[in-house]
Amino acid sequence: MIDLELKKVSKKYRIRREADADAKASFLRKFVSSRKRKEDFWALKDISFNVQRAEALGIIGHNGAGKSTILKLLSRITTPSAGEIMINGRLSALIEVGSGFHPELTGRENIYLNGSILGMLRREITKKLDSIVEFAELRQFIDTPVKRYSSGMYVRLGFSIAAHMNPDILLLDEVLAVGDAAFQQKCIQRITELKKTGTTIVFISHDLKAVQKLCDRVILLKGGQIEADGEPRETIALYESSSRNLHTQARAAEGQQPSREAVVTSLSFYNDQDQECLAFETGMPMKAVLKYEVRKPLVDVIFEVQFYSQESRLCSFFSSETLPGRIHLQPGEGSINFDCSSVGLNPGVYFVDVGIRNRLAPSGIDIDWRRRCLAVRVDYNRNLRDTFYMPHICRHSPPSESSTEPGETDEALVSNTTS
Amino acid sequence: MRTIATVFMKSVTPQPIEGLSSDRKPRPVKIIRPVSFSPVGLFRELRGLWQYRDLFYTLTVHRIKVRYKQSVLGLAWAILQPLSLMLIYTVIFSVIAKVPSENVPYAVFAYAALLPWTFFSSALTNATTSLVSHSQLVTKVYFAREILPLTYVSAAVFDFAVASSFLIALFFYYRVGLTVYALYAVPIFLLLAALATAFSLFLSAVQVRFRDIGVAMPLLLQVWLFATPVVYPLSAVPLRFRGIYALNPTVGVIENFRRVVLQGVAPDFNSLAISAIAAAILFPLAYLYFKRVEATMADII
Repeated sequence: MIDLELKKVSKKYRIRREADADAKASFLRKFVSSRKRKEDFWALKDISFNVQRAEALGIIGHNGAGKSTILKLLSRITTPSAGEIMINGRLSALIEVGSGFHPELTGRENIYLNGSILGMLRREITKKLDSIVEFAELRQFIDTPVKRYSSGMYVRLGFSIAAHMNPDILLLDEVLAVGDAAFQQKCIQRITELKKTGTTIVFISHDLKAVQKLCDRVILLKGGQIEADGEPRETIALYESSSRNLHTQARAAEGQQPSREAVVTSLSFYNDQDQECLAFETGMPMKAVLKYEVRKPLVDVIFEVQFYSQESRLCSFFSSETLPGRIHLQPGEGSINFDCSSVGLNPGVYFVDVGIRNRLAPSGIDIDWRRRCLAVRVDYNRNLRDTFYMPHICRHSPPSESSTEPGETDEALVSNTTS
Repeated sequence: MRTIATVFMKSVTPQPIEGLSSDRKPRPVKIIRPVSFSPVGLFRELRGLWQYRDLFYTLTVHRIKVRYKQSVLGLAWAILQPLSLMLIYTVIFSVIAKVPSENVPYAVFAYAALLPWTFFSSALTNATTSLVSHSQLVTKVYFAREILPLTYVSAAVFDFAVASSFLIALFFYYRVGLTVYALYAVPIFLLLAALATAFSLFLSAVQVRFRDIGVAMPLLLQVWLFATPVVYPLSAVPLRFRGIYALNPTVGVIENFRRVVLQGVAPDFNSLAISAIAAAILFPLAYLYFKRVEATMADII
């Protein structure tokens, strides 16, 4: 039984050149500007695949590979330029939770509003109201305007509504990367339950670990086409190996000018066992190795690796400015290591920018800059809550009679002095 | 494993599965193709709107609630808008300039036309920006987009109902008697609502591409107001201009609305027919255009 079928689907976007962009909505320019200013960009080209009933398909790929376009097509937000999509069943997409909330209305009112936007009937919502509130753990706050909610409460309510949609086909975006760990766990459990009852799942994410855990099959997209389609472990491994070599990837993506004075040739991340990986945990060590090639002598440069949140907010960065003295480079190849003893980022998926720039040059004028070239995942561990992690070591001297219950794994960390 | 699961699902599907899938409905099959619209498809689209009735209702209630939440005067605003216009126009056109008002006090004469006009203009003003102001939604969730402008039209209907109560009060005050012909006001208002819907669909879709429309709306509506017999009677328009004047589709509805409630006589079916024909032509055209823009709305909004 096929639930989703894409037949030779293509999606074209029309891109306006800079000069035209600011005149986006002007009547007059429309007639004045020549057609040449517009360029076609194929976000997807001749994509065909099927999803069986009760199958969980993961779709991975770099930014710009066409993941979100597929998501938008499947959720009917936009239509394909060519090809045909068959959807067999009620489909619901969990793209950005809470995007339909109105701040002035209470949680209860927003459940009705958001639920009906997502396609539920009022009668259905009334029936599920208690369960939605219970799942979101918001019983006391349900009659409070959502503008007074914390961001965590917002997300919980949003997910809870969507999770009660009970669709035949569920589309998931990066939604699992939000909220606290306990709630994330609950979400995954809910999705697993849905899967067990025969819901077909399409999961589009940078979060390779979650993809591997949840999916039966994974498709790797590259440049709007299917690069690989098969067993999760193999496809993910293929993706990870293609992530390493920035040089070819970036060149393929944006047609680098070879005239650059220096280029970043690769960026890799390593864990505490010196294994290359893209998944870390808050509080654990991380190492980044950046390799570069210099073509012309350069004076006073800095190297940077920046971490951006999903909302494109710069969260943190590694910089060679922490080195004493200035860096002047002669042609040749070199590398730079960033050793981080404990990752301060909260759990989530972060996009990485890497680049070389002149220290005195204004930002934006770079020698080489690879925008959002990798995605790094930070997993939950017990160190974290709230906005950032402060590295710390805990030592405990309890009163002599008290006892500390041994933990599940690392009881050795707590010194028990009762003996 | 997967094959087993599929087989299992197949054998169980006819009976409701307990828990989660207890209310699972028959599966609709949807085929998505590149945009191409035919007038026949339009009927299918209209029929498909029925499944969004709950969203339509919820959003309409939401519009009304949000508008009056945290405002001191609340619902009174629905009356204050046409009322303040009435006062201004009464001073200008009755006290300063002497505009004929067909033997009724100018205040009630003006209000009886400002009432449907305010409905029309506020429906258009709000609906025009409805898609753009909900770009967050439009780019994140799918639902029939026409629901957005339509809820603004229906919220304006609600305001109209509230403001109508004041017209009744004016009738008592000025001792204007209603006749049975006043019942014509209902179909006449429905015709006006149909026109408002057609213009709302068209203008909101245009606004997605050209933001100029939103900026031009206040001016457009100002001109439109004076091109419609609201502050003056239709009889004040010179005969030689009547032909071209009557092409404005709001002329017939507004004039006849006032005529049936105020004069207590049968409507003038000729001018009403022009409005009806205009609505019958404009609505499908506007809807076709809207659906065309809708297909790629999320990409350009």
